[in-house]
Amino acid sequence: MDLSLSSDQIAVLDALDSLAKPYEAAPLHGTGFALTDPGLDRALAGGGFLDVGFDPDLGIATAGLVVERLARLPQASEAASSAIVRPLLGDGVGSPLCMVEEDKLLRPVRFLREGATVVVAGRSVTSFVATAGQVRAEPEALFGYPVATLLSLPEARTDHAVDAALLRTHWRIALAAESAGLLAAALASVCAHTTERQQFGRPLASFQGLRHRLAEAQVRTNGVYWLAMKAAATLDPADAALAALHAQETARAVVYDFHQFMGAMGMTLEHPLHLWTYRLKLLAGELGGRGGNALAAAETLWGSA
Amino acid sequence: MNFAWTAEEAAFRQRLKDFLAATLPDDWERFSQHGPASPALTEYARAFCGKLAEDGLLTPHWPVEIGGQGLDPWHQTILAEEMWVAGEPRGGQYMNVNWVGPTLIKYGSPAQQQRYLPAITGGTALWCQGFSEPGSGSDLASLRTRAERVGEDYHVNGQKIWTSYAGLADTCFLLCRTGEDRKKGISILLVPMDTPGITVRAIPSLIGEGDIHEVFFDDVRVPATALFGDEGQAWEIIAFSLVNERLGIPRYRLARAARDRAVAVLKAQGGWSGEAVRIEAAHAAALCEAARTASYAIVTKRAQGEAVGPESSSARFATVMAERRVAEFVVEYLPEALADAHPYLKMHHQRGIVAGIAAGAAEIQLNIIANDVLKLPREPR
Repeated sequence: MDLSLSSDQIAVLDALDSLAKPYEAAPLHGTGFALTDPGLDRALAGGGFLDVGFDPDLGIATAGLVVERLARLPQASEAASSAIVRPLLGDGVGSPLCMVEEDKLLRPVRFLREGATVVVAGRSVTSFVATAGQVRAEPEALFGYPVATLLSLPEARTDHAVDAALLRTHWRIALAAESAGLLAAALASVCAHTTERQQFGRPLASFQGLRHRLAEAQVRTNGVYWLAMKAAATLDPADAALAALHAQETARAVVYDFHQFMGAMGMTLEHPLHLWTYRLKLLAGELGGRGGNALAAAETLWGSA
Repeated sequence: MNFAWTAEEAAFRQRLKDFLAATLPDDWERFSQHGPASPALTEYARAFCGKLAEDGLLTPHWPVEIGGQGLDPWHQTILAEEMWVAGEPRGGQYMNVNWVGPTLIKYGSPAQQQRYLPAITGGTALWCQGFSEPGSGSDLASLRTRAERVGEDYHVNGQKIWTSYAGLADTCFLLCRTGEDRKKGISILLVPMDTPGITVRAIPSLIGEGDIHEVFFDDVRVPATALFGDEGQAWEIIAFSLVNERLGIPRYRLARAARDRAVAVLKAQGGWSGEAVRIEAAHAAALCEAARTASYAIVTKRAQGEAVGPESSSARFATVMAERRVAEFVVEYLPEALADAHPYLKMHHQRGIVAGIAAGAAEIQLNIIANDVLKLPREPR
């Protein structure tokens, strides 16, 4: 047992930090619900960061680290599925990669647009490249991702020789790793604001009513990080389901608190907090939400009812 | 990151399991309900720890020159996990190997080490921790028990409370005031519990028999050689001790085992078909695993020789969350366990409540996280 990063992982994260630095400093006032940057997407693809999962020496464990780190950026980029799910499907699959469950087609789909690759998880795994007629953009959606509705599933789809359960395991890992980064960034953002903002003659964050809840959010966020990293390292379906469950449960526990602690600033688009929390809101319902992931974990850990 | 045990670590764990299987009596699960501080378990622990010592399994993580084998913190963790999940047959002696011994090794005089370490490594010593007082619980630095230097002695007067193991302990690791400064006025004395002037009264508790006590010190005289470290060094020393103590008990391991036991019982008696019970069990599982991995992150740092900082409070609070969720799960779905139908689950329930209170209350852990992990501005005092 050794939970320290390998020298290769440290090198990848150092390079990623260098790439991400200018985007961290981007002006964030009045960004709208979702912030994207095609330059970031190109830099990630060009730098090969979303391909580390194909490298057997780095694997999904390193992909999980990359996804967690990228999720801390205010810009939403399609990294999680490409880095963690795509290695199952082969590097011929294009991006962005959009994940949908076959029996839940009405849900808003992140990064869905004409030309995106849609992966359909049912009893089997299929994919197709979306056409303009299959997609309805939802520019008014209350999410921190660009989302669209999938209007129809084409009959002709590419079959992938991948076990659907394994696909869902990777999807859960991607969800958990991304959530860990979103939670960490949202927490940091709230801590910064409540440290700076004074009321009653002292910083908001000096009041125990906030301090203990922020500290508990740190404990939960730390747990999501470690469960996600463990699942990425083991690829164990129970680990993955527990990680996804804990991520969604943590989002439920902290998102409203975070906005609450910001006071009226927490209701504005002037502060960037929503760029992380309103991404968590979309992740909250994926793969059956907390109930679905909990049942998946129970099934794997203890067998059928 | 490597989340798998090495073959050597796995073999060490199996060796411990084999030892427990060969050593514990057949009625151990029911017997262990007496609680780690009970007279019955304390007596049993002396024999058990003696056997552990004979097999080199009592202090394998201590340095070789003082009776250990120099094994790394992972082995200490594995040892603690296997003992705690078995119901802690070492009784109160777990404290000896977790923090009393290491603290003696780091801060004790040669004479103190010579006097106290052999009984610890031999598995016969029992210590108690004279920290809390009626007016000084979480606010430990306000303690008032006073030690006055008179010639070659200290005269000790005051009262301790909530003291685990005091009823049967042979030595007290006593915090007392030797100066007026809030923290730098506190010193440590190592006080034999049979010293005249010490009175111990047991307090009935929710967590097992013989666990909590009041200890009164009425003009107790101990030689100046009982001073541990320097006068006024207590705060530094207990900071070292508590880092070990906070991660000393791997409560997440027993919580996980209790959760699995509860699920097995529910499955056997047809109580596992509803979605609600399975969802609740999974939530408990997630919290147990979150606590375990957060704790392992700390062990990783220790194994690399790095100082462990405030992140240990985060792992500790994660363990509190896991303990509570498992205990709530059992109460909701297997209430008969608390009525003695399932001794192992009852044992877990009794001990679980301790997690958020002993060795620094959960609220203190949250304060530490707020101050030193999140770097939030401190509360005005």
